[in-house]
Amino acid sequence: MYIRIYNQKVVKTTRSVDIGRCRHMSEELDSPPLTCYLHRIGETPVETERTEQAFALPMGEHVGQFESRLNFHRKLAAIVLLVFAVSFFFPFFFARENRISAEIPGGIAELALLPTLLLLLPPTMILLYALIRNSRRSEWLLSFAGTLGLLAPLAVLAYVGPRVVSTLGPFARYSPGSGMYLYLTAVAIVYLMKARIRIGDYIGLAVALAVVLALGHQGSFNRLGILLEARNFGTRLSREILAHIRITGISIGISVLVGIPLALVTFQSRRMRKLVFPLLNVLQTIPGIALFGLLIAPLAALSQAFPQLREWGIKGIGNTPAIIALSMYALYPIIRYSFTAISSIDASVVLAAQGMGMSSGQVWRIVRFPLATPGILHGIRVALVQTIGNATLAKLIGGDGLGVLVFEGLGQASVDMVLLGMLLIIALTVAADRIFQILITVLTPVSLRREGA
Amino acid sequence: MTTGPVRPTLEESPSFLKAEHISVRYGETVALNDVTLHIPTNRVTVLIGPSGCGKSTTLRCINALVKTSSGHIDYGDASIQAMSETDLRRNMGYAIQSVGLMPHMTVEENVDLVPRLLGWKRSERTERVSRLLKLVRLDPQVYRNKYPHELSGGEAQRVGVARALGADPPVLLMDEPFGAVDPLTREQLQDEFIRIQRQLKKTVVFVTHDIDEAVRLADYLVIMKDGMIVQADTPEQILAAPANEFVERFLGPDRSLKRLSLFTADHCCLEQVVSGTGKPSEAQLPKGSNRCYWQVDADGKPIMGFTWIHNRIIERPITSSTHTVQPYSSMKECMSAILSLGMPATAVVDDDGRLYGEVRFETIQTISLS
Repeated sequence: MYIRIYNQKVVKTTRSVDIGRCRHMSEELDSPPLTCYLHRIGETPVETERTEQAFALPMGEHVGQFESRLNFHRKLAAIVLLVFAVSFFFPFFFARENRISAEIPGGIAELALLPTLLLLLPPTMILLYALIRNSRRSEWLLSFAGTLGLLAPLAVLAYVGPRVVSTLGPFARYSPGSGMYLYLTAVAIVYLMKARIRIGDYIGLAVALAVVLALGHQGSFNRLGILLEARNFGTRLSREILAHIRITGISIGISVLVGIPLALVTFQSRRMRKLVFPLLNVLQTIPGIALFGLLIAPLAALSQAFPQLREWGIKGIGNTPAIIALSMYALYPIIRYSFTAISSIDASVVLAAQGMGMSSGQVWRIVRFPLATPGILHGIRVALVQTIGNATLAKLIGGDGLGVLVFEGLGQASVDMVLLGMLLIIALTVAADRIFQILITVLTPVSLRREGA
Repeated sequence: MTTGPVRPTLEESPSFLKAEHISVRYGETVALNDVTLHIPTNRVTVLIGPSGCGKSTTLRCINALVKTSSGHIDYGDASIQAMSETDLRRNMGYAIQSVGLMPHMTVEENVDLVPRLLGWKRSERTERVSRLLKLVRLDPQVYRNKYPHELSGGEAQRVGVARALGADPPVLLMDEPFGAVDPLTREQLQDEFIRIQRQLKKTVVFVTHDIDEAVRLADYLVIMKDGMIVQADTPEQILAAPANEFVERFLGPDRSLKRLSLFTADHCCLEQVVSGTGKPSEAQLPKGSNRCYWQVDADGKPIMGFTWIHNRIIERPITSSTHTVQPYSSMKECMSAILSLGMPATAVVDDDGRLYGEVRFETIQTISLS
């Protein structure tokens, strides 16, 4: 492939191998011949024969930019290759005779070698081929291969797993193994490598999702460990998810209501600053479990003294101490981010506002708050993500939430149950983070949007 | 030949803004020490001095951003300490060096701030914004909906000045408003400022550390040092008779050249000029005369200058904007244009570039001698 460079920018690319024709083409274009020249990628020191064909060049890209992207691409391609190779040496899934019995490795390494290999190898080959031949034309192939890369491990779970399990008795089950996680990681890297996600990728992801749902509906995953656990929990599962959301929501609500005014006070008064920040730092260093435990005694005493409180759910154990501890943890990012957001507002803007005759309330309402909003929201977002994770600990002092799955699973030595809890927590975190990102974009003043993200 | 150019003198206009014996102390540090200053109404008062001399502090005392430790400032009949700070500030436009435009508001919303705070009607405000933007030479159609980050430094300063003029305040406080822009833009902004001030006649208090800017803009020049006033007078007086060595050093060695900044081209330009669309005839430019003849194009823009030097007629093409001056250009710029054109005079052109008059070297000589 040849690229034409004008003023250090890629202006024309061609896949033609005929250098004479390229020269002719360049003469047809109206750029002065001195600054316009043909540039064979293979002739620059960074290129090799293979990557020469491997890239679709966006127009207008700077040569240096293009070269560094090419280098980056090649490094990632090597990593993907390595991860794929390694994944084949680990079990793709584990089978168990019952919930807590020992793991029997399954996959290419031991059990069910042939079917696994048959299902995994072809998509892997296509994917690697598409990766190496990455060009404008192979974009679609890469999208297609990515979808296959997602579907192949699913196929192993749907077809090979049940077959192995059926030989192990009625309580047998299976769960994804490290090989599969590695394999999926490699596929994920392929997606991350892309300059941008194309329509083809969205279609591929949608197809993969549809196939999962169809297979699930058909009952292909019925003996998958996490699903068995989820079924055992029944309606309790959704209850715990809702409880988790509720505990997190109330905690964040409290710390927003307390934290933002506190940040304002801290901003106004130097003495408060000296008091609040060291206190927050200490609070943040107390280990989670310790803080949860510390609250049991005072709250228990309180509910003992005022039995009325007990009726409102305030007692030494349960959700109340958890919510109190979680909101204390969330205070740190909320106050820190809000404080930084308020104090980093350009002093001249505030001076101008005062000089124009705004009252101090107007300075806050018209100038400081709108400008600090993105920063404050970022603080809440960090606190939210952190709290969703920490809320797992609520179970340890008798609270609800997804911690119930994790800690009961640990107690029963059931890996699948722990995994189910963890996956749900991750899903909640990602969802909350996404929703907040959108919220931040919407609430950021138009002219400030280009800076944040 | 005009008689000596007349620069409006600073007649005793009753001052309605007076600082009487004000001092500002921060603990041990004395920022202002017993400053008494009567701001002449409808004139430009420029405060100048080395950094830390208290010029900005004086300005901020006037709109109560800084509280005076002793002394008082009177605005009309009342002391500003007795007035509500917000009311006081809304009566005084305020423009600062870093402009301080609200980054989350459009140009319109920025200019509109004070009228909005004062509760003006929407229709009035929209019209006011258009008027102000036109006044600072920004096309309202283009700039109204832009955000501050889309403006150049000079444009932002213009918006800052428009904002300070927002509610048509009688007093304008400007704290190094042209300090943060490049020299060329600064000169343009100064020209604009002179034009606007002639039109609006506000009582302006202007802080700068640039002596050329100060001499150029001031009707009343106040030189400060270490929180005290060293000399306060018209720039002519100060240039002619510096009070002490500090003032003399501060004015610099080119005092007579600085004097030229006091006058603008329209003070002393000849409006009867000899011009035509063709080459000069014998009658238009008699042999040996020291007059100039300007050849203009169909639009009336000068394109060539003719004059007699050493018994030879010489022609000088006018190709760049440095060859001509505008009515608001200072005598210093006229001098520079004369030198760069190589003629005994330079052409004065109006805003559209049409020939308006000429400034002769002899006139400049007369000024520097007067």
